Amino acid sequence: MIQGMTAGARWDRDNMEPRVREILDRTVVDRARGPYRAKTADQVAAILEGYFAKAEGLSGITISDVRRMAGGASKEQFAFVLRHVGDSEGTRLILRMDPLECISQSCRGREAQLHMAMKGVVPVAGIRGYDADGDILGQPGMIMDFVDGVTQPTDVKTVGVTGIGSRFDDWVPKLAPQFVDSYIKVHGFDFSKANLSYFEVPRAGTTDAAIWQVNWWSRLGWNALVEPVPIITLTERWLRENAPVCDKPVIVHGDLRIGNFMFEEPSGKFTAVLDWELGHIGDFHEDIAWVIQTLFGVRREDGVFLVCGLMPREEFLDAYQEQSGNRIDPVKLRYYEVLNAYKCAVMDLSQAIRAAKESTNHQDLVLSMLASAGAVFLDRIVQLLREA
Amino acid sequence: MLPNIDIRLANCIKALEEIVIPSLGEGERMAREQALLVIGHVRMIGAQWKHAARFEAKSFEAMAALAGEIAANEPDFRGELSDALAATETVDRGDIDAVEAAICRVGQAIDKAILGDEGTMALSAASVAAILDYGQKQAVRERVWFKGSGLDPDAAILPDFKPGL
Repeated sequence: MIQGMTAGARWDRDNMEPRVREILDRTVVDRARGPYRAKTADQVAAILEGYFAKAEGLSGITISDVRRMAGGASKEQFAFVLRHVGDSEGTRLILRMDPLECISQSCRGREAQLHMAMKGVVPVAGIRGYDADGDILGQPGMIMDFVDGVTQPTDVKTVGVTGIGSRFDDWVPKLAPQFVDSYIKVHGFDFSKANLSYFEVPRAGTTDAAIWQVNWWSRLGWNALVEPVPIITLTERWLRENAPVCDKPVIVHGDLRIGNFMFEEPSGKFTAVLDWELGHIGDFHEDIAWVIQTLFGVRREDGVFLVCGLMPREEFLDAYQEQSGNRIDPVKLRYYEVLNAYKCAVMDLSQAIRAAKESTNHQDLVLSMLASAGAVFLDRIVQLLREA
Repeated sequence: MLPNIDIRLANCIKALEEIVIPSLGEGERMAREQALLVIGHVRMIGAQWKHAARFEAKSFEAMAALAGEIAANEPDFRGELSDALAATETVDRGDIDAVEAAICRVGQAIDKAILGDEGTMALSAASVAAILDYGQKQAVRERVWFKGSGLDPDAAILPDFKPGL
């Protein structure tokens, strides 16, 4: 049980990656440009024609088969076919674009760089191009290769919003080994030679990794605040006063869970790890603590909780340790469970509600539905802090 | 006699289920997803609207009680918390907008005490315990309030909607 909070040195809220700070500050400015309206197919085609002409110098450009993609809670995504003088057959591509506000705020430049760095490490969609600040597209975005596959089997019984709360039954033997393997590969990747110019590396042996995250998410939360939530504020203080040392920074995906793995049917073979927007360099415990959250799993008939609807928590943790060689420190895991629940609470109860209120997203309705889950995280935080 | 709110909400759901969704083409996945979300929201609103003012009033009272406890334990913030409580004491409990504004007023004073001037001032164990107690009770109330969202993996063990208010 936590005791009182002690007086200490004044916090440095600016201690975070400069690019993250830039994005968070930009959000406040962009918010005033609302409301945001979902783009039509014609608007998207015009945007893309302009982009390919300017960014790639293509001529005779035709954009066709523009189709809005369902799913996700954040970005506007469209599949389309690009034809031009050098490619008359056409290439299927995906445009992933930022509305004015999302449930989280992130950088398409960082996401694209991570995609490119992870190519060949785990399956990822190729990056055709990106516009980190929306200089050409008019709003930040990235263009990816089209990848075949599904994020939920078409025959599962229990399916939830953005893959949350799905249960996989007969698919488990096909999906679970690849699921664990993805964590091993992402965390084992040597990023030292990768072009990650939008990123900073937290110093090993310091609390940078944790504090940068606290500063990221607390700034997002305070900037978006609609109504104070005392338990969120208490958690922020606890996170600042209990930040653990990160021994060896690794690539952290930030949202590595079912719903963000694309796979083929019926083989179940993974074709892409999606949604790297929250990716950063940090502590591996963060990804592990993220995926074991109750929101991302379901309970079996016997009451056993299944991580992402795939496997019991202890089975997942054991498999990860055995295959990665990383030892899970229970105190650090607990810290990152609190941090992740805090992040989710901030997303749901500050950012999502603010974006839904200001109408700055293309699907405000999804945001207000996700916001309704905020108390699940608050309840979990209380439990975790009491056990700390 | 007016068509009451329950009737109108039920009519909205029927129109979406029987007219709008069946008319969507196979390729309109996002429109279908949004229509299903509208149904989900409308169903929850149907269960909530009669209790909404009471729910918010009780949220305010719980937060005001927390402010009182923190004020008793944190002398440096007692003045600000007391001012916030005094300014909101007579808020009309039946006016949801006014109650929400009162929650914000009191909540801001609580947040300041918790942050303790950016971590430079201590927060007592008694205040931390009070915040955790309040936090747990309020979280359960809010989970019950949104039990129908389908996003709570442990919804089955939550109390029923009305007693949970």
